Amino acid sequence: MEMNPLGRTLAVGSLGVALLFGATAAWAHHAIQGKFDVSKTTQLSGIVTYVDWRNPHAHVFMNVTTPGRNSALNWAVELESPVELEMDGWKDNTLRPGDRITVKGYPARDASRQVWGIDVRTVATGAQVFQAKLNSRTVIQTTSAGRPTPRWPDGHPALGALPGGADGYWTNPSKTVLQEDGANIKMDEYGALANISDAAKVAPMQPWALGVYVNRQQRQLRDDPMFVNCKPPGGVRQYQSRLGLQFLEDRARKRIFVLLGSGNHNYRIIYMDGRKPVGLVGGDDDNPLYYGRSVGRWEGDTLVVETTGFNEDFWFTNGGLPHTTDLHLTERFTRTSQDVLRYEVKVEDPGAYTRTWSAGWTMQWNGGGTLPIYFCQNNRQ
Amino acid sequence: MFLLSLTLGLPIIAQEGFPLKGSWIGVWESNTQHGNDVLLVMNWDGKSVSGTINPGTDNIKIDKATLDPAGWKVHIEADAKTKQGGPLHYVIDGVIENLQQPNRAIVGTWQSQSGRGKFEAHRQ
Repeated sequence: MEMNPLGRTLAVGSLGVALLFGATAAWAHHAIQGKFDVSKTTQLSGIVTYVDWRNPHAHVFMNVTTPGRNSALNWAVELESPVELEMDGWKDNTLRPGDRITVKGYPARDASRQVWGIDVRTVATGAQVFQAKLNSRTVIQTTSAGRPTPRWPDGHPALGALPGGADGYWTNPSKTVLQEDGANIKMDEYGALANISDAAKVAPMQPWALGVYVNRQQRQLRDDPMFVNCKPPGGVRQYQSRLGLQFLEDRARKRIFVLLGSGNHNYRIIYMDGRKPVGLVGGDDDNPLYYGRSVGRWEGDTLVVETTGFNEDFWFTNGGLPHTTDLHLTERFTRTSQDVLRYEVKVEDPGAYTRTWSAGWTMQWNGGGTLPIYFCQNNRQ
Repeated sequence: MFLLSLTLGLPIIAQEGFPLKGSWIGVWESNTQHGNDVLLVMNWDGKSVSGTINPGTDNIKIDKATLDPAGWKVHIEADAKTKQGGPLHYVIDGVIENLQQPNRAIVGTWQSQSGRGKFEAHRQ
């Protein structure tokens, strides 16, 4: 077996996998603006009653006594996902019922007793807790001039770990949003535009697609099906997740698995055997998929992957750019060094865009790291 | 209401692409020629909308359908026949409500030589 990590990882992955058909997924870091008003902050002080340590977001419940009111009111403090928090060393018992805390957070737009916690501290020590480092969680600082690209005996770059070598995965995308190269439109890491009037500059959208995109932005991305319905991060989106991904090259069978740290153990298969990107005749050939159907080939040191056959049941990027079943992605993966993966994508979708357009970014190798286990809903039960 | 009742309780499949694409079930009230219940199936080829009203033995081909993103206005035209075999030109005008929801609706009016009334159909 040329690729011995394959069986081990797939065995783990198969515990919850719904191959390609995407029975749930998602890392679910949606724009919090949909639920909370980030233009305001509120302060709370009270006693922890319960810590709910479940994806997509952890919650701390606390009793808050309000002046002039005899009984305490229970508030919910929403935090990042347990996966993210655990990566930074926090645990479900970091706070316990009875602990007194102070919270600074963004209030809920619907005026309910919920806040997004931006600063949670224990009164006893004054220490800040449950702070997720997110994009500042630097894995490796390298440049493309760093350690050389690992290669298979035949000279092709290895996209993942080589047999017998240390495990690792790709994470820390340099961009977590999609916009046409050169557009340089300001948006946050979830794809929410700083100025909605810039929407038409993000990509060459048809009028209806621009209308849908603007509507999603105006609604603060609250309809994101990856968050609302645990839909898979298909298309470009799988390369925008901080939770990363892993390539497993099954060279004997001429296929490459892309395992997602963000998709409930979903994985995508890139076929390298020269087949056409279609389904099985009489089987699923008319069934579009969340990850589409992918075929790959090597062009020098770059893996070129063509993918078609996407369904329309998901957002293919953070920020909600629309797509149709005509979506055709041409992705180019170049491991420029041991620690850097260059990702380039050409987007063709005559159903939603007026012309072909491109974008690209890099990801970093987390050598020795293990792909995070993430389930959209509750990974503890 | 029969068609509507059939769909109650069935899961609605999300559709995040072109907003008109898919199957829509609803009513065109007071339609004496084709009944109150209506089913539309529409597709998008990147340039225009095509589709059928009431697919089946007496289906009606949609001749024209447009979607104006400014206000999400929908305009549909289709030629059918009366029960007596005479010409019948349907015009449906409405707006999409709850654009981002799986069960979004087209709400408006229908009219033809035989009458007019309220139109409402929800995407399935």
